Amino acid sequence: MKRDLSDSMQSQGSLSVSDESIARMLCDDNHVEQAVRLIMKKYGEQLYWHIRRMVVAHDDAEDCLQETMINVYKYRTTYSNEYPLSSWLYKIATNESLKLLKNRAGFTMSVDDLGDSLKDSVREEASPNADETLILLQEAIALLPAKQKMVFNLRYYDDKSYEEIHQIVGDSVNTLKTNYHYAVQKIKDYILEHQL
Amino acid sequence: MKEFDLESLSREMPFKMPEHFLDDMTERVVSQIGKQRKQNRDRKIVALFASVASAAAVALLFLHPFGSSLNIPDYDNISQCASVDEVLQDMTAEELSLYSMMSNYYGN
Repeated sequence: MKRDLSDSMQSQGSLSVSDESIARMLCDDNHVEQAVRLIMKKYGEQLYWHIRRMVVAHDDAEDCLQETMINVYKYRTTYSNEYPLSSWLYKIATNESLKLLKNRAGFTMSVDDLGDSLKDSVREEASPNADETLILLQEAIALLPAKQKMVFNLRYYDDKSYEEIHQIVGDSVNTLKTNYHYAVQKIKDYILEHQL
Repeated sequence: MKEFDLESLSREMPFKMPEHFLDDMTERVVSQIGKQRKQNRDRKIVALFASVASAAAVALLFLHPFGSSLNIPDYDNISQCASVDEVLQDMTAEELSLYSMMSNYYGN
């Protein structure tokens, strides 16, 4: 029976499996591994890039994504369908990224003090043939305070509405709009200043 | 004042994700979850065994209170017996040693 359900899920294609079905499978001990596979298929790439934009280095993004998925398994019973599954996943991924950055900052610095070192990582991690403006954009994002960075990335790259960002980050919609506005201004200023 | 249009930029990232990364990650996560599930199952079995064992120990204590099998002689009534030799004949070696120890103590 278990095999039948798994096979049918595979044949339907992971992307067509509804979030409600995945959430139900996640809380069912017989299907939890299958649910994790479906989440990785459906949201793995989005989560990877969301994390990578925050932590920049691939190795760090790898650790964070792995921890994110382990936490998805560990805290699966805390998921409430009051919010979309994707918001819950993004929230866990965001927390893991911030945790990694906090560990890196240590006791003496704050996450926002890591801007310069993250900016340096952008150049190191960039592909050799990457567009210079895209590198500058990532450098500008790396220099933003963590909250502005999160809001900007979720809106600009992931096309999330302010309501969805509120579900992930927790701040009020007005605060999020202000954060986004400041982020855009700082990014524009940085690119204009550094573009040849 | 120069203006820069952020919206006109490509959403492409200047970084690359290694090939097969997500597939490898999926396998790693699933295997780690499998190990955690096994650990949780083992922990539940050990906890169950421990609670059954402690329940059995408590039950044993109530059914056979410690010392009940020793059949300790009633020293107050020994003097009423027909003869000490008769009583001593029926005693086990263990009871005899206990009797001699108590006799020495009470100076019988």
